[in-house]
Amino acid sequence: MKRKDSSQLRAFWNEFRRVKFGTVGLALFAVFVLIVLFEPLLMPYPDANDRWRDMTYWLDSPRNAKPVWVNWFTSKDYAVADTIEPTSVTESQVGSLRMVMMEFEYDFHYQRPPADLQLVTTLTGNASIQMELIRPDGASLNYQRATSSSGTRDIRVSVAQNLQDKVFRLASAYADPDVIASENPETIDAMATMFAAAEPNMLRATNPLEGTYICKLTVALTSADSRVDDAMLVIAGGVAGWMGTDASKRDIWSGLIAGTKWALLIGLVTSFVSVAIGVVYGVVAGYFGGWVDSMMNRIFEVFLSMPLLPILIVMGAVFKPSIWTMIIMMCLFFWVGPVKTVRSMALQIKENTYIEAAKALGASHGRIVFKHLLPQLVPYAFATMALSVPSAIVYEASISLIGLGDATVVTWGQILQDAYASGAVLQGTWWWVVPPGLAIALMGMTFAFIGFAMDTILNPKLRTR
Amino acid sequence: MYWRYAVRRILYAVVMFAVVIFIFSALFNTVAETTQLAQITEQVNAEVRGVQQASQMQAEDIQEWRESRRTQLIQQYHLDEPIVSRIFWRTLNTLTMNLGQSTRIRSSAGENDVWLIIKERIPRTLVLFMTAVAVDVLLGVWLGLRKARKAGGLMDRTTSIITMVLYGLPSWWLGMLMIMIFAFTISIFPSGAMHSTPAPTGGFAYFVDLLYHMALPVLALVVLRFWGRAYITRNIVLGTLQEDFIMSARARGISERKVLYGHTLRSSAPPIVTMSLLALLASFGGALIFEGIFSWPGMGNLYWVAVQQNDIPVLMGNLALTTGLYIAGLALLDLIYGLLDPRVKVGGKA
Repeated sequence: MKRKDSSQLRAFWNEFRRVKFGTVGLALFAVFVLIVLFEPLLMPYPDANDRWRDMTYWLDSPRNAKPVWVNWFTSKDYAVADTIEPTSVTESQVGSLRMVMMEFEYDFHYQRPPADLQLVTTLTGNASIQMELIRPDGASLNYQRATSSSGTRDIRVSVAQNLQDKVFRLASAYADPDVIASENPETIDAMATMFAAAEPNMLRATNPLEGTYICKLTVALTSADSRVDDAMLVIAGGVAGWMGTDASKRDIWSGLIAGTKWALLIGLVTSFVSVAIGVVYGVVAGYFGGWVDSMMNRIFEVFLSMPLLPILIVMGAVFKPSIWTMIIMMCLFFWVGPVKTVRSMALQIKENTYIEAAKALGASHGRIVFKHLLPQLVPYAFATMALSVPSAIVYEASISLIGLGDATVVTWGQILQDAYASGAVLQGTWWWVVPPGLAIALMGMTFAFIGFAMDTILNPKLRTR
Repeated sequence: MYWRYAVRRILYAVVMFAVVIFIFSALFNTVAETTQLAQITEQVNAEVRGVQQASQMQAEDIQEWRESRRTQLIQQYHLDEPIVSRIFWRTLNTLTMNLGQSTRIRSSAGENDVWLIIKERIPRTLVLFMTAVAVDVLLGVWLGLRKARKAGGLMDRTTSIITMVLYGLPSWWLGMLMIMIFAFTISIFPSGAMHSTPAPTGGFAYFVDLLYHMALPVLALVVLRFWGRAYITRNIVLGTLQEDFIMSARARGISERKVLYGHTLRSSAPPIVTMSLLALLASFGGALIFEGIFSWPGMGNLYWVAVQQNDIPVLMGNLALTTGLYIAGLALLDLIYGLLDPRVKVGGKA
């Protein structure tokens, strides 16, 4: 019996290999598994799993930045988000003061300026810092001082903040009197002007000034134990990461990678458990027949009469499920899928003479069900499993979309919910809406390929006429 | 006798509805009762305020009155009885459409009776869903027949691949994309709602306005789903085409077209109807999500609002009515099946 099973499986595999889209599906499935396995390598923000909703983790990214590959398709490149380490650090003693000078070089070769430049550092003890920004043409802007008196403090100096007046004064030196008169310091695009070539039209920021911008940081340490650590210049560019960032500055690519394992888990566990239950249920009902069958049929029909998504929504709203209870809830209603087909298949199989022979030999019901009936239904069960994976994923996404998802994990549905709730659809933030849905669709397609391939093998007459 | 079959099937659906509602009542008993107790407290407090203003009652008297009124209301709603009987009463109330009062949501006329809130939304959901179903089935069966005619051909294969590619795509996501593209990037369709504000008066203009608002959601629903319908139809038709009577029809020299549309379609009709309507009922849930995306003021949209406002009575009532519609749909399916396939009536399935 065992040997026959394995040869059957091999025959099945040989046939499966010949269905082209089936192999494509398997390959895609392998890719998804690889993504899950190599998740830490693929995620630029390794803590995205645990700190997805922790806004302090995402401070150094730009807000609503487009994906970097947008630059491949546009003639006016967006500045790429980046963090820059100091190129030089010099320390000098002036009287009782220790002065630390740091220089950051920012090579700007884009047509559209970043949304902000931020100097981020940690100050300990008494200290004050000052910042100067020098443009490639030599013009310079002075920046606010920040001081710290005691303890350790994170300092974040934003260039874009209060920039309007400074830049307006700078540009006024070059601009036409007419232009100056017509523009208002409050309404000019300050960052664009700062990265614009010095010319009469500077205020309208038509030509970017490419080159190396130098940011000079001077820290005056007043007491002996004062320190300055971890200084870096954060470029909040217009494009960031493979999939851009959302309105809360989160890296969408990291979210997609983190969501892959949950989608696989939800889909595989739900479909495996529910199809296993459904197949056993159907076989038992079909095999025993009589009152067992009709009673099991009644229970089955009660479950069939419940609309799935509405009841999942209400259960979600009432019980506030975690991801695991959500999987259990879905299994509770998903198992009805294969029952009807399996029952009729079992009715056919049990009429075979070898079942009669097994009975005559004194085999127990359990032995007949598990040794003779179920193995024959395994291929069908696998096809059904593969085909019910996508719907499990879509159901989870739908419940998340309504806002009932498990907030401790990152799923594709929740990324979509965040996008929808913050109006990404209306603002046209496509890189926030398209990738998660595409990921869901791609995974659905993977399992559809596998499932339909098994289906064509199991029902040979469907292939041609 | 078709009508006997029909009566039996409808009775069965009613019983099934009662059973499911009983299960829901048991499942959500705790949360429903908590909400109801809170509502009673609120009602008593409001009444106390009224009494206080009308008559200058003493503080103790008010306290006493408050207690007695509260007990009275609790008795009225059977909340003092053992749990089985409470669940029983809740089931009975739900079955008689006594769905209670909403906590926050109001109907368009301002009532807070849950039944009235949901009642005005039922036709809106039905009109959207039915239109989508009609378009979907027509296109799906048409494409399925064409696929079956040249099974294994180029068109059959490409459309099958499309079916699989779109298999796991959430329809509401496509809806989002369509809004993004067709309502905001190139604004040729409205982004949502059922009518322009103010809604045009006059039968025809009203109807055209409705169609215009319905176009995008129906399109999004159909574009995704009719491939699946076609695939099912194709498989059923292919199964029938291998029957002996088809071979004999061909042997008699009946034209291929007649064989396909006359013989095959007639005997494939019952399973096609069942399969497509069953699949559509399954997509009913997805269509509910859809209403939220397109701000279509139907029952699906009500789920969103009720979840956001945590309005438990509305949520429960909506679930009961959705289930009712769903079971009615299943019953209708069997009735149609009985009409198409005479064997069902005799066999006494149900």
